[in-house]
Amino acid sequence: MPSRSSDAWNTPPALPDGSVVSGDVYTDTGVYADEVRSIYGQTWRFACHESEVPEPFDYRLIDHCGQSLIVIRGDDGQVRTFFNVCSHRGAKLLSEPAGNASAITCFYHRWTYDSRGACTGIPRPAGYPKEAVSKQSMGLREVRTDVLHGLVFICLADDGPALTDFIGSALDQFQDMLTGVPLEVFHFNRAVLACNWKAWHETNMDLYHEFMHVVLRKTQVNAMPMEDRKLITFANGHGGSGGDLKAKYDGYQGFSGRGADVPALPGVGPADFRFMNLFPSTAIISRGTVIRIDTATPLGPNQTLLEMRGLGIKGEPEEHRRIRQRHHNQYWGPFGRNVPEDMIAAESCADSFRSEAGRYQIIARDENLTGQDDAILRGFYQEWSKRTGRDPRNPTGHPQGRPVGQ
Amino acid sequence: MNDLKKLLEGEAVRPLIGRLALALDDGNFAAFLALCDDPFNYRIRVWSPELKKQMTWLEHDREGLTELFKSLPEHLQRPGRLHRQVTVATVEPSNTEDYLVVTSSFIAHHTSLEGQTQTLAVGRYLDIVNMSAEAIVLTARDVMLDTRDLGIGLHVPL
Repeated sequence: MPSRSSDAWNTPPALPDGSVVSGDVYTDTGVYADEVRSIYGQTWRFACHESEVPEPFDYRLIDHCGQSLIVIRGDDGQVRTFFNVCSHRGAKLLSEPAGNASAITCFYHRWTYDSRGACTGIPRPAGYPKEAVSKQSMGLREVRTDVLHGLVFICLADDGPALTDFIGSALDQFQDMLTGVPLEVFHFNRAVLACNWKAWHETNMDLYHEFMHVVLRKTQVNAMPMEDRKLITFANGHGGSGGDLKAKYDGYQGFSGRGADVPALPGVGPADFRFMNLFPSTAIISRGTVIRIDTATPLGPNQTLLEMRGLGIKGEPEEHRRIRQRHHNQYWGPFGRNVPEDMIAAESCADSFRSEAGRYQIIARDENLTGQDDAILRGFYQEWSKRTGRDPRNPTGHPQGRPVGQ
Repeated sequence: MNDLKKLLEGEAVRPLIGRLALALDDGNFAAFLALCDDPFNYRIRVWSPELKKQMTWLEHDREGLTELFKSLPEHLQRPGRLHRQVTVATVEPSNTEDYLVVTSSFIAHHTSLEGQTQTLAVGRYLDIVNMSAEAIVLTARDVMLDTRDLGIGLHVPL
């Protein structure tokens, strides 16, 4: 029987545990609330690159599940993060996405704070009961912040594993690239997508979708034997390449000579491709001469803020930067050959699950951690399940998944 | 006399800018290139308030643009149609004889396959136009985007 009945369509495929994901993980509001609380409220996530706050008092505003955070380098050189909220009446303290603020002054009643989050000024303080409202008690809400290989991470939970414990050795293969030369961000763009945050992140974890991209069909799928492509998964839901994947840039018109025109980043050749997906939703991808970091931030079950960065070598000659920028833009950015296609895929799947026409995703490819194995996706959902306490195959607990239309 | 020359040049440039927009709207890239000089340079730039830097999001010479256009049918693209509404604001002499600097504002709308239209991007075209050629042609275009969130992005020039 080539097609399926309603019952058959709504029954999860008979596959091993961890190989099927219900569409409800993308659309159910209860699932979403759990994710915000138990994942985004508890884990480390990438905030920005250290070069975005190079000098004392430099700051960057970060959106974290709709909450505005200030990442700021203090007068002591340490990078800290605070809620972008005045302790007094809740007004947003800073509005420019980046800048330098030796004093942070609330526009509303002129309360002031320093770069370490201490409250330094309350106009006419005598009007308040001193024991409850004073400069000593009215500091900003600090968010745990740590820096690894130049990457600034934040964690809303005051307690929990250290960043290095959470990341483990997942970023080891990027260490030379990230620390061998000073890097800086030369590309940044945001896009709000009509899809769940996981639908975007899956495009980074799923190698099988290489077939969607004509560029990858011509430069990557055929560049090395599938069985020689090594993938790796780590504790805490991280996963990526387990060795260099190769690209044959000559396979795509216009990409010939890529890599011969500018120095590769430390530790890699110009045709080497590495990627690492950090739980919950950050991807670090390198293509020999340039690095991309993207982060998906949930804004709702069906809305995701995507922030994408391109990194090059700080202080490099202008001509090198121009070439590196071109390498970045060939694949990535709003006009890249690949990224818009990934976005179309993420929104397309989201549309099906939102309407409940789509019911399940299959992540059952098993190639012994080579080729286009789905192991990274399965590792992600294993961690997701551990943190949310829900089964990806049936996250709402209904006997056969959430009934259609409810 | 100078004023008259300026007026005539301005009037001559306007249809070129319009035809370039229509060619892109129609996906008639051969017609677009036919209105461009050789050499030709195309660039999309955006100011990032996050990085405090000018970013380049796309840059091609004539050859690169030709290759891009050839490859488009193989790519997965945003379905629907773009409509560029262009208003020529100023036409000024450049430092090079026979070349004019033309500044236009534009709004790009996207119409989905279902017929819904939304604003996709706004910005300016900073164009260099060659008046000495047999036909007036575009020598360089800098697209200065105000819009920085382009949703799923796109493969074609704006």
